[in-house]
Amino acid sequence: MADPQASKPLAPMLQVRNLSVHFGALNKPTVAVESLDLDIAQGEVLGLVGESGSGKSVSMMAIMGLVDANGRVSADQLAIGGTDLQAMPLRQRHRFIGEHVGMIFQDPMASLDPCYRVGEQLTETLAVQGRMSRAQLRERALELLRLVEIPDPVARMDAYPHHLSGGMCQRIMIAMALSRNPSLLIADEPTTALDVTIQAQIMAVLRRLQRERNLTLLLISHDLALVSSVADRVVVMYAGQAVESGRPPGIFRSPQHPYTRALMQALPESSRGRERLLALPGVVPGVDDRPTGCLLAPRCPHVQGRCASQRPLTRSIGEGRHVACHFDIDDAAIASDA
Amino acid sequence: MRELWSSLVQRRAAAAGLFVCVALVLIAVLAPWVAPHDPVAQFRDALLAKPVWSGGTWRYPLGTDDLGRDLLSRLIWGARVSLAVGIASVVLALVPGILLGLVAAFFPGWIAIVIGRTVDLLVAIPGLLLAIAVVAILGPGLVNTVLAIALVMLPPFVRLVRASAQMEMSRDYVAAARQCGASKPRLMFDTVLRNCAAPVIVQGTLGFSSAVLEAAALGFLGLGAQPPTAEWGTMLASSRGFIETASWLVTLPGLAILVTVIAINLLGDGLRDALDPRLKNHG
Amino acid sequence: MVAPPSPVHPVLDARGLQKHYPLRKGWLRAPQTVRALDGVDFTLRAGRTLAVVGESGCGKTTLARLLTLIEQPTAGTLVVDGRDITGMDPQTHALLRQRVQIVFQNPFSSLNPRKTLAAILDEPLIINTGQSVAERRERVDTLMRQVGLRKEQADRFPHMFSGGQRQRIAIARAMALNPAVVIADEPVSALDVSIQAQILNLFMDLQQAFGTAYVFISHNLSVVEHVAHEVLVMYLGKVVEFGTRQSVFATPLHPYTQALLSASPTLDPALQRKVIPIQGELPSPLAPPSGCAFHPRCPQAVSRCRDEAPQLRDVGGQRVACHRV
Repeated sequence: MADPQASKPLAPMLQVRNLSVHFGALNKPTVAVESLDLDIAQGEVLGLVGESGSGKSVSMMAIMGLVDANGRVSADQLAIGGTDLQAMPLRQRHRFIGEHVGMIFQDPMASLDPCYRVGEQLTETLAVQGRMSRAQLRERALELLRLVEIPDPVARMDAYPHHLSGGMCQRIMIAMALSRNPSLLIADEPTTALDVTIQAQIMAVLRRLQRERNLTLLLISHDLALVSSVADRVVVMYAGQAVESGRPPGIFRSPQHPYTRALMQALPESSRGRERLLALPGVVPGVDDRPTGCLLAPRCPHVQGRCASQRPLTRSIGEGRHVACHFDIDDAAIASDA
Repeated sequence: MRELWSSLVQRRAAAAGLFVCVALVLIAVLAPWVAPHDPVAQFRDALLAKPVWSGGTWRYPLGTDDLGRDLLSRLIWGARVSLAVGIASVVLALVPGILLGLVAAFFPGWIAIVIGRTVDLLVAIPGLLLAIAVVAILGPGLVNTVLAIALVMLPPFVRLVRASAQMEMSRDYVAAARQCGASKPRLMFDTVLRNCAAPVIVQGTLGFSSAVLEAAALGFLGLGAQPPTAEWGTMLASSRGFIETASWLVTLPGLAILVTVIAINLLGDGLRDALDPRLKNHG
Repeated sequence: MVAPPSPVHPVLDARGLQKHYPLRKGWLRAPQTVRALDGVDFTLRAGRTLAVVGESGCGKTTLARLLTLIEQPTAGTLVVDGRDITGMDPQTHALLRQRVQIVFQNPFSSLNPRKTLAAILDEPLIINTGQSVAERRERVDTLMRQVGLRKEQADRFPHMFSGGQRQRIAIARAMALNPAVVIADEPVSALDVSIQAQILNLFMDLQQAFGTAYVFISHNLSVVEHVAHEVLVMYLGKVVEFGTRQSVFATPLHPYTQALLSASPTLDPALQRKVIPIQGELPSPLAPPSGCAFHPRCPQAVSRCRDEAPQLRDVGGQRVACHRV
């Protein structure tokens, strides 16, 4: 079946090649992200999933240029909408990002300034540019509130964030992220702090806006089911590396990397009828014990041969799927049991 | 403990402060052996002798005062007094302070109100005035100096411990201890107190330096150590008239106070930096 | 796998549990009441898990506080381990508290940062048992082994452990006194998927070995579906649905339960329920809607729902509080 995306090659909105982020001492660094490649086409929704320590949030921060001073970011390419981010000085980069990228973070209550009214915060970036009058700014703020379906926007304009619930605040965050009509929207765990029904509402708003405006959306989450229901493509990260990428639901129905498969098996919903969940033993490697070979080798159920000594490269296995594993998963399973 | 030590010595300023403090403690403890002369011995043949760098002899390296007493020896023995006053007043303020702070946190209601208002009252009076008032009532002397300074230092400890304890009390681990059947005293002293320790330690270290200063102030006013006891503040006071003729009698005790207070403050800052982030990271 | 036989009396029996908090908004205004919990009934037997499901503001935290005997209900009866707590003297009350232990959500704040693992596990034993140092040490070793911690870790402080390991410590502490019930308040919500699986396995192993009953509070419905025997769905302080796990998940009767289940995304699209969107937000507990508390947001509401509060009644083995069923 021909890949529908292949027929009309869209300009890539985000292009990342060989991104690495290191922290701490030079001789023994903490590797947060290792050799990450990311491509998001215009209008596409990419889900970046992983557990804590996977590097999913740090990679986003690195792209945005928000990594702390003690972090070292290196990449062969970092481009948004074709513009090379590394070629410009940091201030210009922040300005560029401010114009073209919108961001939504996890805790909406913490992302809004409690000392300012909602209306003021919504139009802050526009007001700084100085090109709109107060009346125009107010009108724009109301427009944004209506966009995210906030009931009674006129009253909400003058409210302070602590008067509003988590769901409302997150809608406002989305509105703020869209205030300058960005082409790329990054959402880092946007619904983790919210109740399930509110989560559904917020995701519905995001999906509608993404479709209406043909927004490119990078959704970062640890919730596989959530990402699966929204994303066009998924990249699974482990210990700073992308281990598998592909399209849902296929990538979850038949995962090709042992880590993805283990994640599936560990989810409560996959063990219908069985009492015990299949859990990967051990923990994500820390600073002191980062493997020289495959990062999953100490925990992988199918570890064998060169797994412990050689870091596997990402290879394409057709149908838009990429895996970073030395073996085909079914062969590996048979070989390791033998 | 090891982590604390290593993070402390990594900060050069704090390490310097620590070094000086340790040196001071050693000097004070070894005073009888380190001091060249008896601090109260009067050498009639060497009144107002100059220090060695202004033409004096090595017999009295820092010179002598108007009664012929060797300044160096008096400074060394004075360190004893200052450090003893510092430690004693901090301990005397710390123990009741912790107790009252914990009680105020664990028994909200009229007990906490009484403690709180009393502390507010004490804080409303400027520290030095309060100390003077206490000494005026009890009479001058070192012991009463210590009591007065302790009283002045009490309120910050009470407030610190109370605020810290209240914050910890809302944490899950305290609820878990309660659920296991921990009694109030156990909750206070075994569960919560150890988690309030860090800011108290820092406050104690800094309180030490202010105790040294206040002892000197009281001594300067004639309310602290009485002659012939060597104490830096009283030495400053009795040398007032010699600022122009024998300036070393004023500057050297003043310098001693300055160095001690700076060293303690640096150490306290270092301790705070070393202790606090550890707590913040794991809360 | 056979569940242990239930004893004569249930471990927990709640009838009409109510907790209202008075709220004074200034001297001149009349005091208002926050009806945090407004009539909850359930029975829990040994070796069984009751899952309490609901979103923020539904009263599950208040329920946990009542069940752990931290607070007294303003109305209703609660029988813990066969003893009615109404009018109980403080000493017996304090002793009874130890039969109900709790595991908290946040593994980072539920352990005393300045105590070693061994000291944390020793504490309940020191307070309650007259055991010698050696006997306690042995019990601590046993507890550590049961939750999968190694002996060498006994002298470490909490900050040296990962989130999953800390949750194991919290579970070991909860089990130290062999409680009849463990209230688990979102115990795996803060954990990664693979660690979550390990901890859920641990919960179930311990239940099987010791017959401990659990009240498992969670907003994650797939976790609930995995661990629960019975499910209690709450909304604004009231029970809206109660039934066995199978029946509630297969045939949710209350519109809120249906909406809740449909709102949870599933990995396998074949299992995805048709999404029933509900508008609006949770109403304030100070001003609950008239009649059925859910009616302003309910897709199936009719005029009766506004006028009359529905009672919890039996519908084919499940209990529902809805006029439309």
